[in-house]
Amino acid sequence: MVKVGVFLCHCGRNISEVVDVPRVAEAVRHLPGVTYVDENKYMCSEPGQAAIRQAITEHGLTRVVVASCSPRMHEITFRRAAAQAGLNPYLVEMANLREHCSWVHADDHEAATLKAIELVKKAVARISYNEPLTPQPIPMTRRALVIGGGIAGIQAALDIAAAGHQVTLVERESTIGGRMAQLDKTFPTLDCSSCILTPKMVEVAQNPNIELLTYSEVESVSGFVGSFEVQIRKRATLVDHVKCTGCGICWEKCPEKVPSEFDLARGKRSSIYIPFPQAVPVKPVVDQVHCRYIKYQEFEASGAEGKKPPQCRICEKLCPPQALAWDQEDEAVTEKFGAIVVATGYDPFDPTVYGEFGYGQYPDVITGLELERLLSASGPTEGHVLRPSDGTPPKTVVFLSCIGSRDEERGKAYCSQICCMYMAKHAIVLKEHDPEVQSYIFYIDNRAVGKGYEEFSRRAQEDAGAVYLRGRVAKVFPQDGKLVVMGEDSLIGRQVEIAADMVVLAAAVVPSRGADEVARMLNISYDSDHFLVEAHPKLRPVETHTDGVFLAGACVSPCDVPQSVSRGSAAAAKTLALLSKETLVGEPTTAVVDALRCSGCQLCLEVCPFNAISTQVVAGRTVASVNEGLCKGCGLCSAVCRPAAIGVKGSTHKQLLAEVASLWT
Amino acid sequence: MVEEVRDKARELLSAGTVECVIGYERATDGITARPLFAYSPEEADRFILDRTCVHNLARYLLDRKGKPTAVVVKPCDSRTINLLVHENQIERDKVFAIGVTCPGVVEAHWGETTEGLQSRCGSCPLEVPVVYDHLITVPGERQPRTGFPELEKLEAMSPQERLEFWQQQFQRCIRCYACRQVCPGCYCPICFVDQLDPMWVGIKIAPPENQVWHLIRAFHLAGRCIECGECQRVCPVNIPLMLLNQKLTAEVEGMFDFRPGLDAETLPPFATFRKEELEAER
Amino acid sequence: MDMNGGPRIVGFLCNWCSYAGADMAGTSRMSYPPNIRIIRVPCSGRVDPLLVVKSFQQGADGVLVAGCHPGDCHYTEGNYYARRRFALLRPLLDFVGIEQERLRLEWVSASEGRKFSRAVASFQEELERLGPRGHRG
Repeated sequence: MVKVGVFLCHCGRNISEVVDVPRVAEAVRHLPGVTYVDENKYMCSEPGQAAIRQAITEHGLTRVVVASCSPRMHEITFRRAAAQAGLNPYLVEMANLREHCSWVHADDHEAATLKAIELVKKAVARISYNEPLTPQPIPMTRRALVIGGGIAGIQAALDIAAAGHQVTLVERESTIGGRMAQLDKTFPTLDCSSCILTPKMVEVAQNPNIELLTYSEVESVSGFVGSFEVQIRKRATLVDHVKCTGCGICWEKCPEKVPSEFDLARGKRSSIYIPFPQAVPVKPVVDQVHCRYIKYQEFEASGAEGKKPPQCRICEKLCPPQALAWDQEDEAVTEKFGAIVVATGYDPFDPTVYGEFGYGQYPDVITGLELERLLSASGPTEGHVLRPSDGTPPKTVVFLSCIGSRDEERGKAYCSQICCMYMAKHAIVLKEHDPEVQSYIFYIDNRAVGKGYEEFSRRAQEDAGAVYLRGRVAKVFPQDGKLVVMGEDSLIGRQVEIAADMVVLAAAVVPSRGADEVARMLNISYDSDHFLVEAHPKLRPVETHTDGVFLAGACVSPCDVPQSVSRGSAAAAKTLALLSKETLVGEPTTAVVDALRCSGCQLCLEVCPFNAISTQVVAGRTVASVNEGLCKGCGLCSAVCRPAAIGVKGSTHKQLLAEVASLWT
Repeated sequence: MVEEVRDKARELLSAGTVECVIGYERATDGITARPLFAYSPEEADRFILDRTCVHNLARYLLDRKGKPTAVVVKPCDSRTINLLVHENQIERDKVFAIGVTCPGVVEAHWGETTEGLQSRCGSCPLEVPVVYDHLITVPGERQPRTGFPELEKLEAMSPQERLEFWQQQFQRCIRCYACRQVCPGCYCPICFVDQLDPMWVGIKIAPPENQVWHLIRAFHLAGRCIECGECQRVCPVNIPLMLLNQKLTAEVEGMFDFRPGLDAETLPPFATFRKEELEAER
Repeated sequence: MDMNGGPRIVGFLCNWCSYAGADMAGTSRMSYPPNIRIIRVPCSGRVDPLLVVKSFQQGADGVLVAGCHPGDCHYTEGNYYARRRFALLRPLLDFVGIEQERLRLEWVSASEGRKFSRAVASFQEELERLGPRGHRG
């Protein structure tokens, strides 16, 4: 005979303001199996939990229903409380009276109360079919994978390595460093970005606990927390990086110069190249699209007629250690990891959708990130800010904020967080470069909410003399060698026209290309803007709904350097909590076969996404059999099983049927 | 043609190729046919073959798992073999299929047969069995394909009219489960409807419970029904069960271009999916 | 007993996306009609047709099955199987007089609280338009 205790939470006034909790208590008191009913202002508080523990002990409760918030919020809390009182934690169920009732039916207290009664009845009906479950131990592979070698991924890898664990850092570019490496200075301290980043990059290369795989991409992921099997493709660099000393002769002498991706096509690089001088590793790769010798080989192989391209091979002739490896091929390696940190970063929004600003049309309309490259001493202009059109130094620079941000129609609904501050930074740095520069900043709201940010913003206005104009720009067009910016100063309600030498667009932050593919491989979700979704936006900001997968940096939402570093360290801390264990406690909610009912049709084998089902012979009959280590409890098998021979623990036929049967009775 | 069946049966039994040949013999009403399980060459003389041979004998292979057995199969029946091989219920190499071509069969109930063919024969896609080890050609013109005329009639009704139609049908159901017992696709050790823990369908014989039974019976055959029509033939209260099956047959064919039992390899609709499909049907 | 008035909906929501989406609707106070009863399942692919048919037998006017968007299933492909299953169950229900509009499959992600509340509201409207089921059972 089950003895069900029902614990009704007021959640402060979150529930009780809408739902008549005492009336619910009265209505469920006499339900079959219910032997104890209690109310509490905060069931999740320590006194609330103590009340549950005490009732279990004193009243010999064998089942506990907590009617409070979403089980996604506090199921673990109440299971733990029950376990402390000696009750199997899986004998606890929750009725969601807050998210699914009081918060959404606030306008109809009567309906909400009646619904609350039914939700509790449903949980009581279900719980008599709950069975005590015992988790299975999962072995832990004590190695971590970090995907993405920007500042967030670097920080995560360094922290994991510092704790003495092995970590593999995978980066698809030929160097780590990410977006931060492209920056000239960082706000609000105006530290030189590479000066603070480079030491960390070098530390990654030198740390014996870190395996660095650049020019590599994750191709597939299988398995689960503790034992992810990850296939990584190392792209062919056509350079033997063991032999290569990074002397630089090849990229200096290579005659085929092409636009540099790192400099956002504002500068050139060779076809055998490192993206920037401080690259880690300092080993070049051959760009197989542009290399003359590759083109020559392709021409030969195609058997086409006509003039042959030059064979070139200058790099090979000049390379002291003879490191060129023309026949190198992509290599796929499969490695096992216990946990994974995703730090895939961001891309700048493409501002060409705003045709009225002329980006891509007028050369002196550039993005903020492009300005960083012009400001950088290692950039294409060696730190001299010059107009792309005529190479003259700009004296009047106009900044346009929220290009793609806070614009649901043509861009993204969200705020990109970093733009207000980097516009202030640009105004300050431009003034330092050339005291004659006058900056105008068109802003919507000036958001300066970090430590030292407001002060920094003031500095841009007071010391660097930047003129802040609140309003949107309607149009940018060229006139007499200048760019005329037509906008509105909405504070004084007047049209403004500025003849600028250069216009800088604060392009929005969007998730990095391919981040959604990584998410799919890892079974984690992303939102409509393709930012990866954390397990809880407030309380589990770096965890995901896939155990053992954590998020760092701007793949979650736009963030600046300090926040990326914090998220990297936070993801590392979560990873380390896993790696510090030899075994994990798995979810016991796996599928189980009733061999007597199984018809042996093997449809379940076909639909199982985890290959967790095989067959075995029981009493002369071939029937399905579940490997609990591989089973994730999705229940696909259960839904296709005609004789209902496979059930999922925690979501059994009896439990679900009891819930359905309890409705409207 | 009849002699050919008898000869083949004699040959298989004498040589010991199979232990049993399942075919048809004349029933005691002298008009209809009934199954004959021949274990000796002598019994083979009793085999018959004509348009009254309506039963799907391949269903009996489920009772002879692992034992070498020959069975006479019409085109529809032959799809049973593919279905059961695919679903790991029988081994192909234990079955000797004596295939017979089919111009259609008549409605045959104890003591009487119709002149015209069964309506389901109109939607049969086959003339020759899809599986056979020996083929016997039966003379006769195959009747022209008619599709699913009764199905279309019902589909043309309003939901309310269909509801009333089926409520009347389901009301008559006595839940004898003959439809299940005769179905080659219904081989579960314990059918969901017989399960008591949990009890999926109440034991009350009333329209709501009956409807659950009939919907799930049909759905369990979605992408699996090989259209032998046995369920409808054996129904003692004449519920047109094949209409439910045909509805799903038509939907499965329309959505997934799949007709069950035509081969033993193609994955049935519920065993697979395509990422880009069905967004309009949701 | 029809306690709240209006059509009665049973919602089978996958734990990972849609149940979280319904939570999000709550967190964001996006109200919707109170006549839905949500049953949490691990995956939309877990929803046995029997549960749907039983819900109708129980007196539901509509059944909502909600899962992760295609490609986003927590178990990779459960929602694809669900999509096939219910694409076939709907015409069968319709064929016996339970209008196919009464069974809905929706993709609701964890962040789509608004989509969830709108889906419930529009389903309710649809069910009101259809009127009560001809015969319960």
